[in-house]
Amino acid sequence: MTKAFPTQEIGSLPKFSWRTKPFRLLALTDDDLEGARQWGERLQVEGRTDLYRTLSKRYAFSDEEKKQIVDFSLLYAIRMGETAGEGLARKPGLDLVWSGEQARTEMYETPVSNISGFEFIGRVRSFDNKYWRMASVRSPPKYKENYHLEELLFTKEHSGRKIKVPVTDAITIMAWSDNNYYTGKWAKSGRLPPAKRSFSARREFTLELAKIIRRVIRDLIGRGVEEVQIDIPAATQYQSEDDIKLVAESFNETTKGLSATFSVHSCFPPSLGYGILFPHLLEMKNCERFSLEYGNRDTFERGLDAGSRAGFEDLKLFKEYGYRKQLGVGVIHIHTDTLPSVEVVRDRVLYSAKVTDLPPQNLYINPDCGLRTRRPEVAQKMLDLVVGGAELARRKAG
Amino acid sequence: MTDYKVSLTGLHARNEKTIQATQDWERSRINEAALKATFDKDCDSIVELQKHVGAEYITDGQLTLAWQDLFRPISSGFEGVEPGPMVRWFNTNTFFYTPVVKGPISSDGKVLSRAIQKRFVNHGSSLKIILPDPLTFAELAEDRHYRSKEKVLFAYSDAIRKELRKLSSLGVKYVQFSAPSLVYRLTQKPFSSAAVKQLGESLRNALKGVSMRSGFYPFFGDASPYLPGLFDVIPTDDIGVDLTQTDDSSLSPTSKGIIAGVVDSRTTYLEDIALLVSRVERVVERTGVKTLTLAPSADLRYIPRESADEKLELLGRLRARVRHRTDSPKAKPPGRRGSK
Repeated sequence: MTKAFPTQEIGSLPKFSWRTKPFRLLALTDDDLEGARQWGERLQVEGRTDLYRTLSKRYAFSDEEKKQIVDFSLLYAIRMGETAGEGLARKPGLDLVWSGEQARTEMYETPVSNISGFEFIGRVRSFDNKYWRMASVRSPPKYKENYHLEELLFTKEHSGRKIKVPVTDAITIMAWSDNNYYTGKWAKSGRLPPAKRSFSARREFTLELAKIIRRVIRDLIGRGVEEVQIDIPAATQYQSEDDIKLVAESFNETTKGLSATFSVHSCFPPSLGYGILFPHLLEMKNCERFSLEYGNRDTFERGLDAGSRAGFEDLKLFKEYGYRKQLGVGVIHIHTDTLPSVEVVRDRVLYSAKVTDLPPQNLYINPDCGLRTRRPEVAQKMLDLVVGGAELARRKAG
Repeated sequence: MTDYKVSLTGLHARNEKTIQATQDWERSRINEAALKATFDKDCDSIVELQKHVGAEYITDGQLTLAWQDLFRPISSGFEGVEPGPMVRWFNTNTFFYTPVVKGPISSDGKVLSRAIQKRFVNHGSSLKIILPDPLTFAELAEDRHYRSKEKVLFAYSDAIRKELRKLSSLGVKYVQFSAPSLVYRLTQKPFSSAAVKQLGESLRNALKGVSMRSGFYPFFGDASPYLPGLFDVIPTDDIGVDLTQTDDSSLSPTSKGIIAGVVDSRTTYLEDIALLVSRVERVVERTGVKTLTLAPSADLRYIPRESADEKLELLGRLRARVRHRTDSPKAKPPGRRGSK
């Protein structure tokens, strides 16, 4: 891309209540229907009156109607990305879009539900009152079916922009799962030191998963996908040198022999920061772009000095290691409704360019992570800020 | 003769009803009173299970909103500290809000007593509280005030002392300092002996005039670089070792109590009890320990509640087995809860 500071989303967008309730067997209320109408008009979603008609039934939707509801949620999400920044930018819209992972239960649950060997065992708290449904691996994982194909075909058909498919990687599935099977298998290797035993269990599990995910991606590429984002939020979870090497090994195993543009997303590292990933991160030879979260740790002050832009310190690492490919810079913290001003976002973009010394066309701008935990109106504002902040930075940079 | 105990070593998992209640409360589907009633029931069940497995010091699970993370009562309740950016908690898929030190750290001495379930004090068991140790606080806090880890270490321990005195006066009997930062040194060298000595001083400062039993538990890493000196430098009654990360051959004789993290809190895989028994016996043989607390390797919040409880029950069975072997090596040990 030759445009300076191109923009992208990271993957997920919030689900509207009219999207979730029919699947939880809850009746739709007037507010739900009004939400569908208001957003449908605002986003000018094509064929939206068909959705309104279906939703007016309010409950007991057939499978066909549920499918239609999911399709419309994909459409709403695509349009949110394509219209982001209206009123803030001359040419609104993200440069790379996706359909907000509306067809997925969630980035972990969907793949795990479609790979054999797993059993869901209950919810685990991630932070505050946020939980994930943990699955336990009870036998070697095996490919069942391509769990992203349908959403890809729909998104490809209905998007007017370049698309990027987010795919959850093996490390993350391993790290968020209960590694029951491989822990048991390696527990019998009594001669290994304890830490080595648990690493061996993690590695074997990860590499089995990587083969399955490669097959999923290979089929997506066969259906015309040009860009794939490998989602590794757990890249910084296990932090030993062996584990960091495994992150790179897993990525290389996943993308081996595949021809597409690959990027990597990760977020929320430990207090040591992203530094723990270096230099092994750079062994991901097929990776064209690292899209990482920075906004979370930044101040709300305007300015291009290191103090105002404290959250972006880690970006210097890329320059120190001589990295010259692309970066995706997270400029919006996604776990709060408190938003920075568009000028602060602009300064975050400009500071990122300054400390990385990368050409502006190599610096993608995005929220820190997927926006699924926000309300739709907040998520939209966040995408607006991404597009608006990048535009202001473009003007300033000339 | 070794006295075997069982204890939790961290925040416990919430049960499904509580999880649902927290989400319903966030969406205004239930009120605060209903949420509290759900938490109360959950805490009751954790206390009951600890009693069942023979825990002498019980926790209330530390799973209410006050303990959203181990730092939260401190970062929300101490003067001079505020919750800041969200950061990953060591090598887990859980996160905490960084305590940001913006001014002199102090407390009114009542912050932690507001965070515990006081109804469990003198409730037939002795209540235990688990807190971050001064080193972990100093390492993970963002210090914008003192600009000195040493000063943060001692300012934190001063504030904690005030809190512990209050808790002690209320009847809390045990404090465990959780110290993952000491041993979680994957890319860094172990702390110097001078730094560990300073940590010992800060703990001595925190425990001055406090009349409760104390433990120090470094987990998530290999303690062997600090052994055996750690047992001499750290002034607590019990010292913990995460045996899922530390080889037991690094242990040596001690007159202190040991918290043995023998059961892996990071997986539902239930360890072979015969292997656990032999491991515990090796620890006893190497150390001659008088008080050995059998424990999960860390908090049990990393696996779903049912599995967390199974791990605790496993510890109860392990205790019964090792006690039984000590008393009468050939007799049959007791079975599982509910088994006929």
